[in-house]
Amino acid sequence: MMLIAGTVPIKDMPLAMGQVAAEGDWLVVDGKRIPCTQGTGAMVSAALTTTGYLGLDAPYALLVGDIGEGRGSRQLYQYLIDHVAELSPAVLALHYWLPDMAQTRQLCSAIGKCEKRPIMIADAASMYSAKAAGLAEAFDIFTPDATEIAFLADPEATHPAYIAGHLFETDVSNTPDLARTAYENHGAAGLLLVKGAKDYVIRGGEILATITEPDVPMLEPIGGTGDTITGLVAALTYAELEPHEAAIIAARTNRMAGKYAWVTPATRVRQIIAQFPTVFKDYLCQWSNVCYIKGGY
Amino acid sequence: MAILRRQQKVKFEGGGLVLFQEVQHAMIAEKALKAAEYMVRLVAPPPELRKGCDLAVEINLVEQPGIERVLKEKDLAYISIDPIRLKTAPLLDIVKVTDFGDWVMVKAGNMKITCEKSGGVIVNVSGGGCPDIPYLHAELIDKRLDEAQRPKDLGFTLCALNLDRAFDECLALYNGGGWK
Repeated sequence: MMLIAGTVPIKDMPLAMGQVAAEGDWLVVDGKRIPCTQGTGAMVSAALTTTGYLGLDAPYALLVGDIGEGRGSRQLYQYLIDHVAELSPAVLALHYWLPDMAQTRQLCSAIGKCEKRPIMIADAASMYSAKAAGLAEAFDIFTPDATEIAFLADPEATHPAYIAGHLFETDVSNTPDLARTAYENHGAAGLLLVKGAKDYVIRGGEILATITEPDVPMLEPIGGTGDTITGLVAALTYAELEPHEAAIIAARTNRMAGKYAWVTPATRVRQIIAQFPTVFKDYLCQWSNVCYIKGGY
Repeated sequence: MAILRRQQKVKFEGGGLVLFQEVQHAMIAEKALKAAEYMVRLVAPPPELRKGCDLAVEINLVEQPGIERVLKEKDLAYISIDPIRLKTAPLLDIVKVTDFGDWVMVKAGNMKITCEKSGGVIVNVSGGGCPDIPYLHAELIDKRLDEAQRPKDLGFTLCALNLDRAFDECLALYNGGGWK
């Protein structure tokens, strides 16, 4: 199974664990309706759309309500710590939550008890807590943006609000240098997909690919367009693409979907996700060299 | 033979310290923060960070804005909140503005807010990773800058604080006509 874990902005919503289904503009997990908006909702929706196209099992999601107070996040961590070994997902994608270094350590230790180690992906604050706890290298894929790569490069910062000013001021074109520094400081996962005007796929400090086309600058202000990339990466990895191939196709898909949706800075992320099937139909064969997809449409 | 096991306590690694002038203030603050369901503990600050008394409250640094709000509401005096790691940079105070024609995007750290130039309506919020950001996204979208509640008053985390900085700059540009 692919398991996505994160918080949703519904105050006091109890833990929900189950296979994801779509219902109009909503996601349904364990009988709970979740909006497909910026954050874990957008990530889950992108993953669901991708697995649906590829004819794979829908992702499972472990979600909890938390509007920043941290109670839900702590429950979510604890559930994962207690149950991850029995769940033993093939892909585990961690997303929004209140970063907690001690619980992240416990979680990584619990993951060690899985029958087979899952492919581990982190974005948003689960990436922050992994890096802050010194556990970045326990993860296979991080999907930072151009600011977050500066955070990963700063050995002292435990949150992007405390990045050294000179790293934040660095031009985006210096992403490769920041990534190298992040790897030297043990602040990076096995593979980085750095999302920005130019997307970089980097492994061990080496640039494997850059993606610049189509150029859709108006994707940047749209809340959730980073979350969708992580959802795409998770689903494509679950489809057994190599992590770097999944990252490259995810970045291309997101850009092309932005172009197809004629985005403006006021576009909502669900309008972009709605374009994924069309993008896959037009380009997935060309990009992946896999031209027969059972269940695709 | 019975084996006695000590119940395993959940460890706490907060990353931030609230520093106080008086020991009594630290103890009262710890109780108030625990009552507000924050994970905190009393610790001795390292000598390099000590500014007042030799007792401090360790907090999850990411929760700094929410904790400051509780201390303010309870009228509890403190000297400062600092990261425990000595070489940590000060809080970022840099904003970047990008013009998208009819819209302007302001970025502070990992957070971005985008508004319509004509009416000051917030059309998108992006970036971040803390759980209050999707909530703030839902609360702020489609509201006018001069009518929306401040992210720092609604949020709890450092992501919300960065968003508030971006919001503040956006509001200043809107009120000052800086983007016309």
